[in-house]
Amino acid sequence: MARPGTEELRRRNRAALLEQLHRHGPQTRAELTEALGLNRSTIATIATDLAESGHIQETTGRSTGSAGRPSTLVECVPKAESVAAVEIRADRVRFALFGLGGEVLERAESPLLTGVEGPAAAEAAAALVGGSGAEAVAAVPGLVDAGAVAHSTELGWTGRDVAADLAAATSREWRVVDTATAAAVGEWSRGDAHDATRLLYLHGGRGLTAGLVVEGRAQRGGSIQLGHIVVEPGGLACACGLRGCLEAEMEAFGYAEDIESATAAAGMGDAAARDGLRRSGEDLGRALGAVVTATGPDEILFGGWLRELYLSAAAPVRSALAETTLPHLRSRLRLRTPVLGEEGPLIGAAETGFAALIDRMR
Amino acid sequence: MLLELTGLSKRFGPVEVLSDVDLSIDAGEVCALVGDNGAGKSTLVKCVAGIHAIDGGSISVNDEVRAISGPRDAAALGIEVVYQDLALCDNLDVVENLFLGREKVRGLVLDDDAMEQLAAETLSSLAVRTIRNLRQPVASLSGGQRQTVAIAKAVLWNSRLVILDEPTAALGVAQTRQVLELIRRLADQGLAVLYISHNLNDVFAVADRIAALYLGRMAAVLDAADATQSQVVELITSGRSGTLGLGADTNGART
Ligand SMILES: Nc1ncnc2c1ncn2[C@@H]1O[C@H](COP(=O)(O)OP(=O)(O)OP(=O)(O)O)[C@@H](O)[C@H]1O
Ligand SMILES: [Mg+2]
Ligand SMILES: [Zn+2]
Repeated sequence: MARPGTEELRRRNRAALLEQLHRHGPQTRAELTEALGLNRSTIATIATDLAESGHIQETTGRSTGSAGRPSTLVECVPKAESVAAVEIRADRVRFALFGLGGEVLERAESPLLTGVEGPAAAEAAAALVGGSGAEAVAAVPGLVDAGAVAHSTELGWTGRDVAADLAAATSREWRVVDTATAAAVGEWSRGDAHDATRLLYLHGGRGLTAGLVVEGRAQRGGSIQLGHIVVEPGGLACACGLRGCLEAEMEAFGYAEDIESATAAAGMGDAAARDGLRRSGEDLGRALGAVVTATGPDEILFGGWLRELYLSAAAPVRSALAETTLPHLRSRLRLRTPVLGEEGPLIGAAETGFAALIDRMR
Repeated sequence: MLLELTGLSKRFGPVEVLSDVDLSIDAGEVCALVGDNGAGKSTLVKCVAGIHAIDGGSISVNDEVRAISGPRDAAALGIEVVYQDLALCDNLDVVENLFLGREKVRGLVLDDDAMEQLAAETLSSLAVRTIRNLRQPVASLSGGQRQTVAIAKAVLWNSRLVILDEPTAALGVAQTRQVLELIRRLADQGLAVLYISHNLNDVFAVADRIAALYLGRMAAVLDAADATQSQVVELITSGRSGTLGLGADTNGART
């Protein structure tokens, strides 16, 4: 293998330092030296480079140690690079412009009419985003592959090339990820899930989708149609045309509208509500058993209204999971709820853009 | 092992309330303790907390056998107990409650601002967003917020083992969720948690292991990943389930 040239090495080190600051926030030079495993003079050189290009700045920051002597911190300049992130939902488009380091620079949203088509949704996104950001990333709830939405219960779209719709509306390139995958990236990079190697995020919206990210990165094929796993052959008719799909059996649409009253009623002892939650939990656990067997995650996050469902029906969910997975798959599996809440998909979409942007610098 | 109970026995007069109980809890894990009313759960907690003297067996903390003869001993070992009827002072605010009774013990001198900042940092490390005003008297907090303050106290004082005896019993659904997430986060930050509840959904939501007490005996200790609700219900109500439990081949306890 040929050794990389000096210029190439320097580029890689610049990207590594920027990534370190973007991901972990302001640090001293000593901390950077330690984290990147480079020597002090290399750090000094690339820090000077990056300061000249306007990517980083040095500030007198927090005091360290008992002496309380303030130390110089290196930090990203948020406006130096930015990523436009958009989340398309059934009833609205949300937009945020994220600066380097993860700060939100701008934020806006606009309503969508029910049953909106791809091009109209793209126009709404275009009006919010304009030309902002070096990268533009959209999170769309559904089965997403290579920029296209194969199926979305939430939006009622099938076979929609969303990346093309967005490109046409904005005259720029877009990355498209599914909402669950975006949220997984967000929770891994800015939430509590950074210990997960294979992180599975379940998104409860009007439909049910899942996203698998490996080491915090979106994967081709990682977008999973959780809601259309058949849990009851010949069961209730699903909008997708099949019968007995998880989202039909759970009546996901009802939970998306109002899970609170169902869990509150069950909490107060309403027998029908308890029974409904128990059955939903069992169905979810069984479908999850199949997904876990197929994908082998080490952590699952219950997002959207699945958070409430999991916390109120964890016994049937985990019982069904125990009965449908092999011991070595379930023994190291952590089941958790997300910490970023509604912001997860936007944050993750932005992080997907930053990952691409930093990769390009290498 | 952070906490290890070996052959623990406790009697009240002639009645043996805990008999030969083995249980161990590691740092980073939530161990749920379940059992019918009167099974001995709270008694077990009070033995570990130093409120009851034990009649047999031993309690080890970090692999060292310890005599815990009072709540002070327990606190010195990093054991914090959160009871359902919390020991918070209604007339004091959140910050004051977090620091109550600890100033002298550690010889700490902190000014008000420093205490407030430390309190805010602790709450935010636990992703607690429900308490906006740290200067509000605890009397004005909801039940869930009060539990949150009590639990945060354990984190603030660098406890290593937090024991919660039915912390959600008096809470509504939304507040229970927040406390459950908090319990899970405590363990994920490296604390050991012993969590007592009668609600199996709450137990399954957070537990890594489930220990079932039956009439003062440890019927079984299961990995939550392997357990089913019906197994746990059987262990609670009859002390056994299939090949598990009292009088069966194994009780699953770690050796
Ligand atoms: N101080 C005491 N003196 C005498 N008996 C006691 C004392 N404390 C508890 N007991 C008895 O010990 C047994 C176990 O009680 P304990 O409170 O530990 O049960 P528990 O499992 O916590 O039940 P619950 O789920 O109802 O809280 C009961 O029979 C109880 O009456
Ligand atoms: Mg009790
Ligand atoms: Zn379907």
